[in-house]
Formats: sequence, structure tokens, C-alpha cells
Amino acid sequence: MIANIAVFIFFLGFLSEIKSDKPILRGINPQKAQLYISKNDKFTCFDGKKVIKYSQLNDDFCDCADGSDEPGTSACVNGRFYCINAGFKPIIIPSSRVNDGVCDCCDASDEYFSNAKCINNCIELGSADRIREKQQAELLKSGNQVRLEMAQKGKKKKEEQKIRMSELEKAREQAEQLKEEKYKIKDDAEILENAALDVYKQADEEEKKQKMELESEANRNEAEETFRKFDSNANGKMEIIELQTRIMFDKDRNGVVEVEEARYFLDENDELDLEGFVTLAWPRIKPFLMLDSGLFKAPKKEGDEHIDDEDDESIDAAGDEPIEEAELLNEDEEHHHGDDDADYDEEAEGQQEDQPEPPQPQYDEETQRLIHLANEARNQYDVTDREFREIDRELSDIRNALEKDFGPEEEFAPLNGECFSFEDREYVYKLCPFDKAVQQPRNGGAETRLGTWDSWKGSDYRQMLYANGAGCWNGPSRSAIVELECGLDTRILSVSEPNRCEYFYKMQTPAACSTTRLEIHDEL
Amino acid sequence: MRSISIVLLMLIVSTFAVDKNNFKTCEQSSFCRRCRKVQPGSSPYEIIPNTLNTYANHITADIRNNENQHVFVLKLEALKGNMFHFEIDEKSPLKPRYRVTDALQKEPTYESIKVSSTSSEITIISGRNKAVVFLSPFKIEFFQDETLVTSVNSRGLMNFEHLRKKPEPPAGEQEGAEGDESKIDPPEDDPGAWEENFKGHHDSKPNGPSAVALDFTFHQANILFGIPEHADSFALKSTNGGDPYRLYNLDVFEYELQSTMALYGSVPIIYGHGAGATTGIFWQNAAETWVDIAGISAEQNVMSSIVNFVAGSRQSDPPSAHFMSESGIIDTFVLLGSNPNEAFHQYTDLTGNGKLPQMFAIAYHQCRWNYNDEQDVAQVVAKFDEHDIPMDTMWLDIEYTEGKKYFTWDHTKFPHPVEMMKNLSDVGRHLTIIIDPHIKRDSSYFFHNDCTDKGYYIKNKDGKDYEGWCWPGAASYPDFFNPEIRKYYADQYLLDNFKESTIETGIWNDMNEPSVFNGPEITMLKDNLHYGGWEHRDVHNLYGQMQLVGTYDGLVRRSGGSLRPFILTRAHFAGTQRYAGVWTGDNAAEWSHLEMSIPMCLSLSVSGISFCGADVGGFFGNPDGELFYRWNQAGAFQPFFRGHAHIDTKRREPWLFPEDVKLVVRDAIRKRYSYLAFWYTMFYEHERSGLPIMRPMLSQYPLDKNAYALDDQYMLSDKLLVRPVMQKGASKVDVYFPSKNGEKQGDIWYDIDDYRKIERVGVESVSVNSYKIPVYQRGGTIIPKKERIRRSAVLMQDDPFTLIVAVDENNTAKGTLYIDDEKTFEYRQGKYLYLDFEFKDGVLSSRYIDETAKFSTKTWLERVVIVGLNKTPTSATLRTSDNKSTQLEIIDVKKTSFVIRKPGVSMMDNTWSITLNY
Repeated sequence: MIANIAVFIFFLGFLSEIKSDKPILRGINPQKAQLYISKNDKFTCFDGKKVIKYSQLNDDFCDCADGSDEPGTSACVNGRFYCINAGFKPIIIPSSRVNDGVCDCCDASDEYFSNAKCINNCIELGSADRIREKQQAELLKSGNQVRLEMAQKGKKKKEEQKIRMSELEKAREQAEQLKEEKYKIKDDAEILENAALDVYKQADEEEKKQKMELESEANRNEAEETFRKFDSNANGKMEIIELQTRIMFDKDRNGVVEVEEARYFLDENDELDLEGFVTLAWPRIKPFLMLDSGLFKAPKKEGDEHIDDEDDESIDAAGDEPIEEAELLNEDEEHHHGDDDADYDEEAEGQQEDQPEPPQPQYDEETQRLIHLANEARNQYDVTDREFREIDRELSDIRNALEKDFGPEEEFAPLNGECFSFEDREYVYKLCPFDKAVQQPRNGGAETRLGTWDSWKGSDYRQMLYANGAGCWNGPSRSAIVELECGLDTRILSVSEPNRCEYFYKMQTPAACSTTRLEIHDEL
Repeated sequence: MRSISIVLLMLIVSTFAVDKNNFKTCEQSSFCRRCRKVQPGSSPYEIIPNTLNTYANHITADIRNNENQHVFVLKLEALKGNMFHFEIDEKSPLKPRYRVTDALQKEPTYESIKVSSTSSEITIISGRNKAVVFLSPFKIEFFQDETLVTSVNSRGLMNFEHLRKKPEPPAGEQEGAEGDESKIDPPEDDPGAWEENFKGHHDSKPNGPSAVALDFTFHQANILFGIPEHADSFALKSTNGGDPYRLYNLDVFEYELQSTMALYGSVPIIYGHGAGATTGIFWQNAAETWVDIAGISAEQNVMSSIVNFVAGSRQSDPPSAHFMSESGIIDTFVLLGSNPNEAFHQYTDLTGNGKLPQMFAIAYHQCRWNYNDEQDVAQVVAKFDEHDIPMDTMWLDIEYTEGKKYFTWDHTKFPHPVEMMKNLSDVGRHLTIIIDPHIKRDSSYFFHNDCTDKGYYIKNKDGKDYEGWCWPGAASYPDFFNPEIRKYYADQYLLDNFKESTIETGIWNDMNEPSVFNGPEITMLKDNLHYGGWEHRDVHNLYGQMQLVGTYDGLVRRSGGSLRPFILTRAHFAGTQRYAGVWTGDNAAEWSHLEMSIPMCLSLSVSGISFCGADVGGFFGNPDGELFYRWNQAGAFQPFFRGHAHIDTKRREPWLFPEDVKLVVRDAIRKRYSYLAFWYTMFYEHERSGLPIMRPMLSQYPLDKNAYALDDQYMLSDKLLVRPVMQKGASKVDVYFPSKNGEKQGDIWYDIDDYRKIERVGVESVSVNSYKIPVYQRGGTIIPKKERIRRSAVLMQDDPFTLIVAVDENNTAKGTLYIDDEKTFEYRQGKYLYLDFEFKDGVLSSRYIDETAKFSTKTWLERVVIVGLNKTPTSATLRTSDNKSTQLEIIDVKKTSFVIRKPGVSMMDNTWSITLNY
């Protein structure tokens, strides 16, 4: 014990020597000061691999592989210099920053032999730092108040949602039952209705088939006529050069019908005979002819009807395929339609599809009655079905919300469902927390999705990740990271794109004003 | 920076390779087609008897083409330093033909000649050299010490298309002139003789055919090399069956490797080397040029031709080159060596030596297209410090400008450029910004208005301002050939004009081929018109260099003549080394591109341009960690060391990779910094001697045929052998240790990391871990280093030196160290120290090489590592010039090395010595 006190007293004296700028003791970390006490005028490198003369400490030559003999010079590549920075915080810098002409320590102790004119501004820095810390603490305190309120709201909301969920689960069961009952009634009515209508339908189809054959023949005639017209040299072959003279085939509108363009219309052949032309080339050529003569709109409508009415196979290829573009469009629409309704029962969807009303033939009385009954049953079913689906939707919304991580105390929950905007020179950036991040050009134009809520990055609730945004040209899909800091209100502070298609939002919110978290941060 | 990129990419389907269709083949180029059609054999050209005129330093004689009776004049002169120069021009051309300016650094010095002639030949003797001009057919043979080294037109491929009037339309319209008896001159049987179309671009060719072509044979050579820039091996390959090597400055998007296609620069210097002689041909012509290579075995296997040679059964035809240029005159320098370094020196004697850069310029550069704003720059800089990775220069690509208007800043992203630069310079760092030659056509842009008002733009064939498409959209191009415009351009760099720059700002001249996105082959129309009425066709390859002349002048004047400018250029030509460093353009993050960085820089180095480097990491694409650190390791031992990346790539600052990768990269960059004193000395010596910094093995080992074609290893000066790891997953690397005499006698080598001694001739398979960069110091050399690595090179200026003394078989070594203020031109007024170190008989001594040069420095000698001595001394004694002696400790004794601890002598001490005591 006594020995310890003696060492301690010596140590205190030693510390004051460090501060006294004695060259041999420069740059020493007080926590390691004991190791620098002279033992028989020797110093042992920290790694124990070498013993050197005490005078070789801080003599501007690196003797210890671990850099321990030169804490106060730049001699060792792996050395560490300790600035006391009295009045501010001490820092440890790499030895390479000692006497390099740059003031790194506020007490100027690192530039004792250089051209740099450093002034000791630790006192000023210290007081500014304390003011900043105080402000920070105050902000945190009031922010934390708001955060606690938000947490309260969040928790309350969660409770409410749980209650609502169990209510809905019951209601769903009842609605489903009702819906099934009505379905059965509808089904029965439709069986009777269909049997009655079948008679009329067969007659109708016969008529349509005839009409189509006529159309197909007309189409073929038109194709043959075009062939004769385009076959300038009348050799019975349609050649690339013959198409190149017709500017309507200039797909890319660069003023020239290139060989590739002409080949496209010949279904990638160099030439085609009449039959080939009719089956392969005509479907490609016809829309352009129509376009050329301003006829494009009408056939599109016609095509629509065909597709809705009939199976594709039943259509004579030569007759109806030219409407490729329209057809594609239509398919697309259907696709979207399907997407939007992804939540719906497939069964329900099949039933719900509105049958296009063909020109109504005159039905007999009994048939009309059956139709009326079936309509009634359908209406009733639709009502119950809609109710069921509404419940279902609300339920899945709640389930989704309950699955999201709104923070350890639900403090981020009130942000769910809100959206915030930030404008820079070119874009408006929007962030709907826990939903999506988007970008829109200021001068109008389509919204681009930068990402959809994915997860928290890390465990400290400081960074949100929005992933799987719109794909980047020649690159990955966009994504956004949102970094949160404490602030008295919630708003976006800045948005940048440090990497192509990787966005970075800075956002402040009271929800990030956790006092416990700051303490952890400070220790790091 | 990058290539035509987005604009064009949107037109091309995204494939990751060059679109060859954008660029001509020889067959698609009318004059190349015409010149290549000339068959070897008897040449129609002959000297007209009795036209010889003899002067003190030169002769003239008339040459006639027997097929059309057109007459030319030959002028042949002897130059100091074992060179000849000859010109062939039309005797009375319809109008003057273009002669290249600005390639030579000054008028050469002429040498007196002795001339004798017979009815069949004229002999010109100058010292040990001799030229024999044969009258019919015309041919010149060059001899050194009575050995035939090079001959001209010995294959009879000479073709000189004289200027002529355009034939009347009726004759011209006839298709397929074949069989037409009405005597059409040969060039005109080619449909492209009077106009040419390529990909929708029309070349009106108002002067018609004007090509010049000539063949050169290298009688003593086993290998031909030079004529950069191509992404190809150092050794030139036979072009039989393929396209000739093309010299036409072009912006080639995603260029292809192992290709003779043209790239960003053109230096028409070719060398032939064999054990007996090294000779060079400098074909001074700035027009589009193609070079056919023959006499190299078809397998392009130099080894096998060497074996044949050794066995005395060499192929019948010695290697030869056939130069074909679209216009100008025949203007050729014949460099007679006789060894590689002498030939390199002859070339730089003509075109100038690279100038000593500031120290920061040879340290590490950090670039990206683009660092987005001031915060981005500040953060990247802070991260380098946080991870303790030294870095000297931050770079800004085109996005810093306001709407791609150079000499302006985008103030939204960069509101305080000068302050940003000051933040950098506070830590000794620099900023380099891009300034391209294209000028945005924008009536609110002063530069555009000035150029429009004063007629400074290059004109199209109708005399209107030529308008192309580049980064800013519609753009025009200043005509840097006009001295007035160059002065205007240089003035723009002055701080009075470019207020938001500093005297320290580095300049990056990119896109200066020039790149024109919507032009033929992504460049300018050949019938555009320049100052003096010359067509762009005549001067194309020189355009970028003329921009550099202006930039260099501007930067010198910007600092009142005090600071050495730092300029990086993409386009280059003969003489570019006088103004700027060159990088190899838009490479890709692929192992093959890493490998290609060495042959490309070797070819540039022997062509005068030593300050060369490749984008570290690869410009296009994303390198994985291994490729990234291997590339940094390779870059650390190349003259220009810059990380750079395309805007579409992932960020790749070292700390964004896993920790183990970052640490290896950090180690490589720090190693570069430890050798900066050596690099700086090499750059200084390069300015003095013109010898390359990065040298092919044959420069030091001209007798070792196995070393001729090596281009995966090289020498730095004559001291270090560098063989970076450039294969994925490599755990071993083959290093070739060359022979001094062509047989088994070699040098001693020491691994720079552990001083392991290697005494062998031939391949050694060396084990490599991730940190290993196989580099070897040659026994007999002394290399200066600094081992205190700071944040930037500038901050290391006063730090002490370490000398690595690696002894040869006689236990001797020599080396040099150059010290100055590392930034100003004051060294040219004798403010420097140039030290010579010698180790001999156990004594290391230092003396001034230039006695009158003086420089005040705080630097001192921190340690001396003696490598390769068998006996370890007990102590050492330092004797300084004031006759004081100090005992020094010997420490860190290892198997092949020991350290003399802290001599502490000032580097200013003009004669000190350290004696080893046993």
C-alpha cells in the first residue's frame, strides 16, 4: 500500500513533467505514463522485444517496432501522439501528424518544431463545445418529450389496432358465411339462365363466324393487292429494295428505310413470294399502311371486340393479327388490372367480369324472367362480396402495420401514413415513412420510385432502408437510405445521390431524440 | 475521363465492348487502301542523275516517279548525336503541303558531312555514320560503323501522291475505271480519291489524293516497338492478314485489347532492336497514319524468331515497317542508336524531355466522375485521413462546371470553390479540375461569345464555325493552331479571368482528340479548316497538343512563372511530354486491362512520354477487392498514379471495400510515398537525360533476347525491377531475372521487402500473398527513401531520408538523390541539391554532382540500410565536411542486411562519409 502511494506520488510529478514540455516525455498518453519511467536508464519497448537507452526515448529515431519509444516525434510510422488540449478534450493523433506543418492539436503541442504557427485555442473550443453540448442536451430533452408523446400515441394505436383486428376477424367470418350463401343462390339462378340463353348464343355464333370469314377474305385480297402494288419489278417476289423505296417503312423516322427496317417487314427474310408475303409480311405491314392512311384508330376498336369475344385460336391469323400494337396494349391493360386486384378472390374475379352486352336479341318471356332472377341474385352476391373484401383489406392493412418495426417504444408509429417533401434545384423528393421514397422532377414529369420500405439498417434505429425502387438504366434498382437525427419537428433536411441511383436522405424527427441512445453514442 | 459514353450508348445496344463499326478499317480508308495496294518490288522512284547538290550539312537531289514523271526533291542532312534527317516533297506542288510544327522542341543541331557519288549511288558520311542513297530504284541505306542498320524504300513501297487538279466531272463519273485506256493516275482509280463517305459523314477532299508512304527495314532487329497509342503488346506484331497499326487520335468507347485500332494519341516513333543495334525512325507527320509491320514471324512469337536468329537460320526478311499517311510530306528522322537508351535519348533530344513535375503530381491522385459537391469532396478527404491513407490530389470531372461551360463553377454544388481549394492546400493537397476543348454554344457564355466574335473557332469547309456535339450539347472547338487564339486561351487560366481557381489548381485536358460525338469516327470532319488554311486532315493528331501548348503557357503565367504546371492530357503526339502527363484513357475494371497498363505505358515511355499511368481500378465497371488492390499495387510503381471511375460505377474509395482489402490498398499507396524521393530523383534525371523512367527490360539488358518482348515486368530507371501481380487468385508469379551478356551472367537482385538475395538468370517463381508486390533492387544501386508517411507528399518535404545501399558482386553501389523546393522553377536557377552516393571498400560517401547548385533544406539522413554484405560491422563512423567524427550504432542485423542508426547528417553537407568498422 505504501509502495503504491509512493508510485502514485511519483506519477503525479511525472504527469506534471509531461505537461512541462520536456522533450523526452512529449506526446505520452498519461494512462501509459508509468511505462515511461526510467529503469536503470533503460526503456523497454511495449512489445517487450527490445530494450533501449532511456536517452533514445523521443530522440527522433524509431527503435521500437511498436512505435512506443517515439510518442512525441514523427519517427515511428505506427506511433501515437497524445495532445493534452487542456481546456478541451485530449486527442490522440498518428505520429505522422507531428511537426508536419498542420495544427492538429488545439494546444499546438503537435507542432513544436515546424513552420506552422499554431495558436492554443483549446479554451475557446472548450467553451464553444460546452455551449454546443448544452444546446444539444436541451434539444434532446425537449425532443425526448415529444418522442415520449409519440411513443404514447404509437402504443395506443397499436393497442387499438389489436382490438380492431380481433373485431375484424370475427366480422370476416360472418361476412364470408353470408357471401357463400349468396353465392349458392346466384349459382343456381345462373344455371337456369344459361340453359335458356344457350339457344340464342348458338345462333349468334354462327352468324359471327360467317362475318369473320368474309373479313378474312377481304384481308387476303387487300394483302394480294398490296403485294402486286409493291412488287415494282413484278417478278413475283417482294424484295428488300422494293420496300426501301416506301418511306412509310422508316420505323425510326431517320429519313431512310434501312435494310434492317425493310427486313423487319419481310419477317427477317431477304425476299418473300406471294404466299409468304400474305402470311408473314402482311401482318407487319398492315398497321403501317393503316397508320400511313390515318386508319389506325378504327381497327383498334374492332380488335378489342374480337379479343374479348372469342378465343384467339378461332381467329384467322391472316385476318386479324395486323392489330399487333392494339393487341399488346390490351394485354397490358388486362395485366395491370389483374395486378391491382391481386388481393381479390380469383373466383370472385371470374364471376365479376362484366359480360359485354351483345346486341340484345328478343328473348321469350320465360327467359327474361330467368335473366331477371339471375341479375337479382348476382347483385345480392356482389354486395356481400364487397363487404367481405373491405373487411379483408382493412385486416391486411392492420396486419401489415403491426408487422412493421416502429421502434423500441413505438415512437416512430405516428410517422406511418404521413409524407414529407423536400425540394432541390431539380427534383421534389418525397418520403412516406414505412411506405416509400419517391422523386419527381420539379418541372413536372412522372414520379420515380426510389425505394419501398424495407428495414432498419443496424440496431440503433438511426437509418432506414427503402429498397427495390425503379430500375436504373444500365444499373441496379434504386434505393434510398434515410438517416434520422433528433429535431423538434419531423422534416427532411437534405437529399443527395452519393452513388448512382443510391439516394441519401437526412431527416430530423423527435422520434430520434432518445436520451439513452445519445449516451451510448457519446461513449463510442 | 470517359468516352462518348451515354449519348452514344443510348444509340448502341449495351454491349461491353468497342463498337468497331464506328471506326474505319484500312480497307474503309481510301488512302490506306491505295498505299497498301503498292506491292513490294521495284520502286518507280529514282534519283534524277546530276541533280545532286552538296552543302555543309546536307545534300539535295531530285527524285522522279517514272510512272507519271512527277518530280520531287530529297533533302538529307546529318544531325548531332548520330542522327540523319531527310525530307521528300514535291518540287513544285500545286499548293504547299503541310509540314508539322510544334513536335520538335527546337531546331536540331546539324553535323558536317562528307559526300561522294558514283553513277549509281551517293554516299554521305558523318562521323561513324553513313548514308548511301541509291539512284535507281531510289533507296537509302544507313550504316553505323559500317554495319547496315536501317534502309529506306528497300521494299519499294514508297508512294507519294502529288497534288493535282480535280478531273472534269465526265471522267470522274465513270464507274469502275478498270480497263479504261484513258490513263487515269493510279490513286484516282480508287473511288475515295476525291471524296469519301463513312457512316453518313461526307469528306469533300477538295485537294484529292495526297498520301505519302514509305517503308523502313531494320536489318539488325529482332523486335520492333513504339508507335503508341495502342492497347497491344509492347512488341509490335506482324500486321499481315490484319489491319495495320493505326495512328489517328480517337475517342474510342470501351476500347478493345490486343488490337491495332487507333486510340487517343499518336506518336509516330518506331524502334528496331537487336543485339547488334537499336535504331529508330521518327516519321514526323500529323495526318492519319497507318503502319504495317512485316518480317515478324506470323505467330508473332518473338522468342521463336530469336531462336532462329541464334541458330543462324533467321527468316529471310528482316523486320520492317511501312508508314502510310494521308497528307503532308515525307519528313523522317533516322536515329542510329546504337543501343536502346541512346536511341531513346536521340528521340527526346528532338522532341524534348518531360519536365520535372511538382512533388504532389507524382504522389497519389483521387478521382471520380464525379465528386458531387463540396461536402462530398470534404468527406472523401476526411476519410483518407481517418484511414491514414496518404493522398495528394482531389480531382473534379465535368460536373463541377455550370452546364459544361469550362472556366465556370456550378455554384449550387460548389458555392465556395476557392475555400474548398484552401481547405485542401492547408494540408498540402491540391485540386485538379477538368477543362475540355469543346466550347458550349451558348450565347450567355463569354468564351463562346468571344470565339464567335473573334472568329476563333475551327471552320467547316464553307468557312462557317464548325459545330459538333459533345458534353455540353452543341459545341465548337477553338483553333489552337492560331497563336492569337492560344494566347486568348492561355489568358483564360489567369486568376484575373478564372477567379475561382488558384495558382495551384491542376488542369486536366480531356476529350482533346478532339472528341465529337456526332462526327465521323467520333471526331472532327477532315475537311474542316484551320489557321493558315490547313485542313483538319493535315493536323488532326496535333490538335490536342496545341491545346496543351496554350494550357501550359496559361499555367506558367498564372503563377508569374514561379510554379511548375500540372496538366494531364488524353490526346498526345510527338512532344506532348514537354507539357503534360498522359493517362491511358477509358480502360475497364478487368484483369486484362490491368495487365495492359504496362505495355501501354512502356510504349509511351520509349516514345518520350514517361509521365504515364492508367486509371487505377479501371474506369468502366466495378473491380472486386482483389482486382482493386492488385491494381493499386501496380499503380504504385507506375509514374502517374490515379484512382478513377466512371459515373455509373459503384463508389470505390478504399474504405468502402472490406477491411482486409483496404489495408492492402493502404499499404500499396504508403509504399508509393516511401519511394517518392526516388521517383522525384528519377523525374529530375528524366528532365536531364530524356531517358524513360519506366523502361523495357531491353534498355538495361540489350543482349538478353529473352527479355526483349517482356511487358509484364519492367525497370524503373536502371535500379528497380517491377513485376506486379496481375492475375486473379495468383499465389505465385514468374519473375524473369535477365542476363547481362546474353548468357548466364546476370545481376544480383534484392527483394525490396525482405532483402532476400536472388542470383540467377532466368525465371523464378515467386510466392505472393495479398500484400506482396514483387519488386527487386538491382545490386550495385543506392536508392533514397522516406519512411515517415504523412497525409500528403507536400507535408513530407522536410522529413529525413533513408538510403538503401544494395551492393553488387564487388560490394560496391552507386546512386543519386535530387532535392529542391518540390514546386517552383527555382531549380532552374541552381536552387537544388543533386547528390551522388557511392559505396566502395566499406565506405559510403556523398558528394554534390553539380557543385554550384545550392539549396537550403532541413532534411537529414535518418538511416542507411546496407544490403548484401557478407560481414556485419561492429559500428560505423560518420565524418562530416567540418571534419567531425561520430560513432554510429549498427542495428537490426538480419541475414542479408543491417541498419546504420541515425547518422543525422544534413543533406546539405557536401562531403560526408560513413565508414564501416569491423
